[in-house]
Amino acid sequence: MPNRIIKWIDQRFPLTSFVKHELTGYPTPRNLSYWWNFGFLAGFVLMLQVATGIFLAMHYKADVALSFDSIQHIMRDVNYGWLLRYMHSTGASAFFFVIFVHMARTLYYGSYRAPRELLWWTGQGLLLLLMATAFMGYLLPWGQMSFWGATVITNLFQATPFYGEQVVIWLRGDYTVGDATLSRFFALHYLFPFIIIGAVIVHLVALHSVKSSNPSGIDLAAKDNIPFHPYFTIKDLYGLGLFLMVYCVFVFFMPNSLIEPANNIPANPMQTPNHIVPEWYFLPFYAILRSVPNMVGGVVAMGLSVMMFAFMPFLDRSRIPGGAHYRPIYRLQFYLFMLDMLVLGYVGYVPPTSQTMLIGQIATLCYFASFFLVPFISKVEERWLIKRGLPPQLMALMESESAGIAKRKLKPQRRKGDMA
Amino acid sequence: MKKFMTLLACCCFASSALASEAKLEAVKVGVDLQTVARGVDAVMNSCHSCHSLKYIKYHDLVNLGIDKSVVDTWRGDQPMDSAMLAQMSESDAVQAYGKAPPDLSLMAKARDGGASYVYSYLLGYYITPEGMSGNHIYPATKMPDILGISGITDEAGRAEAQGKARDIVSFLAWAADPDEQTRHKLGYYVLGYLFVLTFLLYLVKNQVWSKLK
Repeated sequence: MPNRIIKWIDQRFPLTSFVKHELTGYPTPRNLSYWWNFGFLAGFVLMLQVATGIFLAMHYKADVALSFDSIQHIMRDVNYGWLLRYMHSTGASAFFFVIFVHMARTLYYGSYRAPRELLWWTGQGLLLLLMATAFMGYLLPWGQMSFWGATVITNLFQATPFYGEQVVIWLRGDYTVGDATLSRFFALHYLFPFIIIGAVIVHLVALHSVKSSNPSGIDLAAKDNIPFHPYFTIKDLYGLGLFLMVYCVFVFFMPNSLIEPANNIPANPMQTPNHIVPEWYFLPFYAILRSVPNMVGGVVAMGLSVMMFAFMPFLDRSRIPGGAHYRPIYRLQFYLFMLDMLVLGYVGYVPPTSQTMLIGQIATLCYFASFFLVPFISKVEERWLIKRGLPPQLMALMESESAGIAKRKLKPQRRKGDMA
Repeated sequence: MKKFMTLLACCCFASSALASEAKLEAVKVGVDLQTVARGVDAVMNSCHSCHSLKYIKYHDLVNLGIDKSVVDTWRGDQPMDSAMLAQMSESDAVQAYGKAPPDLSLMAKARDGGASYVYSYLLGYYITPEGMSGNHIYPATKMPDILGISGITDEAGRAEAQGKARDIVSFLAWAADPDEQTRHKLGYYVLGYLFVLTFLLYLVKNQVWSKLK
């Protein structure tokens, strides 16, 4: 009977072939480490945020007079409302944590390199969408930090050439952050996750076209690829269990460690908090913003700092595969970059003093230098590594890979020929 | 190299930057009913005339385990499910103090340091050389020294005031997060469940992957 149903469906919809192509027959490199679990985890957290968010929206009121109270209503009167809200507020941090690890893995192993540039760029788009969604969601509790964070960030759009003032008013729907802002941020905070889901599908289509990279940085021979299901479904589920344990420690035992104390004070447009800090996941970018004395320059630097990742496929000129694995200088550069991010995060967190301003400026320079120096360093490193002598098996793999890339470049020409 | 310098500089400055913050006396809040009950009693007698607790309803106190007859005396003729609003109206408070006293429902998590902040603040009063009342933690405060800490000179009196401050803070911590105990209890079950589930998934994963060789 089930076979007959599946046959009936298959005549009308490519169910079996889809499952075979994307799951049971989808070739995945067998040497993937646990660093490759984070893409699946990001998808899981997205679903978790959508699910908890929909239920929170049933009890939330997007109105400056009611929103702060409605959060307390969720926390105190709604059955397990505190659980929903803490899962959602912790989930935002979990989402960024997972995405940052996912990106760091891509940078470390050079997964952004040909032919995965588009995959990387769709990911970059997802990062921007995620940041926008998180920023708008943070306004909704209508606490002091919500209000002042939104005020500071929407103010930055004054840097728009010619139409600065108008753009800020257009974003806020008012001259200041107010009821109009809150209502539209709520509407968009509900909309954006569905745009993210669409973008995730594009990301997955791109992934399934070029397939996963792997720690060696070289596309493996067919025999070293194994089907995604059951090998990676079970590995992802095991990773999910580990992730959920950490997540639940935060949700059940320290949820308030991720909520700024000042956000437990209702928004007061007449009183600026002593020290406005964004959520931890924006701190490095906030530090870059503050490091540039000129406002327009700061906004450009901050925007650029988020977008720099997209240039990596062009900046990395080395033909040595394996990302940081076979490239000692790139590896050192990667760790220094991570360190620089931590320094920037610290600078973004503390109140600005002349000392931290200086540290922030140096760290900002280092941040951009670590990108702009990549073309030169990677070229020099490549020459040095080849002169020093690469392992023979690596040379062979490189040749096969460059042959593969050459083949890809030939493809469109051949098609043109076919048509003629 | 630049980055190493940055890190070094950062480590040197980090300690001095942190040290400049106001020193709080750490307090471990009580979660037992006796402490919280003493706390609510102190709050009703010392704070509630000016401060509201608008997210707490009188029946929340009964549900917590406070004697119903005591709650009845506090609520007077207000219904059981009315919010614990201050006895003094906001306009009177503004006239008396220059600004409305803040609501206390979330006070235990609305300041950096949380409960320790409130505890240190309550005990932070002193008499300035000019004979005025001052506060180490929040110098701009308009609130009088309710525990009379600035007038206490003997050790026993100070210990008593500390105990009372801890009771108040314990109640405020409960008010800010009334489901904390439930959350912790549920958390242990969830983590236990996840631990078993993850261990089983680990075994299944090894089982599945063992087919490869």
